[in-house]
Amino acid sequence: MTSVAERDGKAGRMTRPAPLGRRRDLDWIGIPLIAAAGLAAYWLLPEDLALLTRIAASALFVLSLDLVLGYGGIATLGQAAMFGTGAYAAGILAVNWNNDPFAMLAVGGLAGGLLALVTGALILHARGLTLLMLTIAVGQIVQEVANKARDWTGGSDGLSGIDPAPVLGMFRFDMFGHTSYLFALAVLVVGLVVARRIVRSPFGLACRGVSEDPLRISAIGGSPKSYLVVLYAVAGVIAGVAGALTAVTSGIVGLDSTGFSWSAEALVMLVLGGTGRLYGAVIGTAAFMGVHHILAANDPYHWMAFIGLFLIGIVLFLPGGIVSGVERLGGLRRGKEGGA
Amino acid sequence: MTALLEVEGLSKNFGGLQVASDISMTLSAGDRCALIGPNGAGKTTFVNLVTGVIPPSAGTIRLDGRDVTRLSAAERVRLGLIRSFQVARLFKSMTVREHLELAVLQRDRRTFRLFANVARVAGLADEVAELLGSMGLTPVAHTAVGSLAYGQQRLLEIALALAMKPKVLILDEPAAGVPHSESQRILDAIDRLPKDLAVLMIEHDMDLVFRFASSIIVLAQGRLLCSGTAKQIAADPRVREVYLGSRTNAH
Ligand SMILES: Nc1ncnc2c1ncn2[C@@H]1O[C@H](COP(=O)(O)OP(=O)(O)OP(=O)(O)O)[C@@H](O)[C@H]1O
Ligand SMILES: [Mg+2]
Repeated sequence: MTSVAERDGKAGRMTRPAPLGRRRDLDWIGIPLIAAAGLAAYWLLPEDLALLTRIAASALFVLSLDLVLGYGGIATLGQAAMFGTGAYAAGILAVNWNNDPFAMLAVGGLAGGLLALVTGALILHARGLTLLMLTIAVGQIVQEVANKARDWTGGSDGLSGIDPAPVLGMFRFDMFGHTSYLFALAVLVVGLVVARRIVRSPFGLACRGVSEDPLRISAIGGSPKSYLVVLYAVAGVIAGVAGALTAVTSGIVGLDSTGFSWSAEALVMLVLGGTGRLYGAVIGTAAFMGVHHILAANDPYHWMAFIGLFLIGIVLFLPGGIVSGVERLGGLRRGKEGGA
Repeated sequence: MTALLEVEGLSKNFGGLQVASDISMTLSAGDRCALIGPNGAGKTTFVNLVTGVIPPSAGTIRLDGRDVTRLSAAERVRLGLIRSFQVARLFKSMTVREHLELAVLQRDRRTFRLFANVARVAGLADEVAELLGSMGLTPVAHTAVGSLAYGQQRLLEIALALAMKPKVLILDEPAAGVPHSESQRILDAIDRLPKDLAVLMIEHDMDLVFRFASSIIVLAQGRLLCSGTAKQIAADPRVREVYLGSRTNAH
């Protein structure tokens, strides 16, 4: 007993405080950097604006997944339920009543948030595999509802004819996709700012606690489930906005936007970039969709295998995702975890 | 003196094993009570029952006159019943400072602020700085708990409990595993606890027990063996036999 204590005492003298101040100082650069990279891509790759637009909207979706999984520890394969619901809500609004892009985003976010709030309250008492199954089930139900409600959603043909009005009444959605891309990039940047704010709020701190040890949260008087439900709902709003953004910029919504494979793909992109880091969502999405695009264009037959190898390589050599590799290079790692 | 914590006929069996049988006790404002007993006597189980971590098979628990037997652990915490853990139970990736911020924010029900900045919550930084200072944790404020020495983790456990501003505080072996140089700090902190706080401390170190406690409860095999003032317990032959006897066996 004493020897353990003495050893620990010495270890205590050796621990050094993490360079938190420095990390914080560099941390804020991330968002301006992403905005700058996005604008640079706009000038450098004018032929690929459609792809870049999809990347921006998808990154916002993956960001919502990072809040749920990376900060809340909620295992989910049903995040697309919120994305698809937001996309359909925005599309239905535009086709029938109001095609203002901001109104579409607002309605999409509201729809995604409400769905997440209701389903989250129902399923978030479960954990692990049970929860995973429940999130998949919610996704299936939403997809089936969208399939059956043909009159509203177009069923398996998809919802088309979405023609959003000019942004702020000034910027038309042109056929070359300039407005679409800049609009998507702006929404993504706002999404990042909001997510970063939430992560650093008292609420974000509590959610980190819940994801690590829910019982310890009860022991300081918190209710783990209510944190998770609110987090799930907030992420649902962001996923819904991402879905609406896709509806605005692509003009169509298909059944696959609510589907299992879209949820799973988002998970792959997130793990690729790095969970629990926000920027990881953007970098993972850009890397995955970029590599996908290049490979599929050059080798339409074997690109899937290459994507697989790429993923295995990242997971083996950079278990924390691409962002963790960048952090390691920059010496910006968080305080070392799990010393004892 | 008003009774803050009243436990009546508390029992628990795990399968066939009776780990708590018919335990009754009261704790009043200002009490300093020690709960002692050999390893495996059921002390931690008793704490888990009282704090609502596990449901009792029988018995009632009243906090400040209110029956809390059916309330969840978190609800009891909100009523001022706070415990520390025998084995430090902390959030490994959070820094020391973040722990205390979270505890204070949670206590004040300010954790549902989604867009506030933790660094700018009014009064938070000062209170956290004071808690850090009182436990000598200021130098490691920004260290992740996973890389902290065990002794310092224990100090943080106590700081965390204090941050909750408890009415009834239960400390499960607060000095276990803490090097002697640091255990003094824990004792000092316990000495400085608000006078009207009711404290129940589980402890094996008898020097510590006699220094701290005005009354002592002895638990053996899930039963209340006896209780009384420190003097009475020290003189009780049954305690010597059961407690010291099995202590020597256990080591
Ligand atoms: N969840 C459980 N299921 C079955 N038995 C349990 C459980 N928890 C504790 N026990 C048993 O209950 C008895 C009392 O354990 P407890 O941890 O309360 O003892 P203690 O007095 O705190 O001991 P120590 O001084 O070692 O901390 C032990 O025999 C233990 O094995
Ligand atoms: Mg114990």
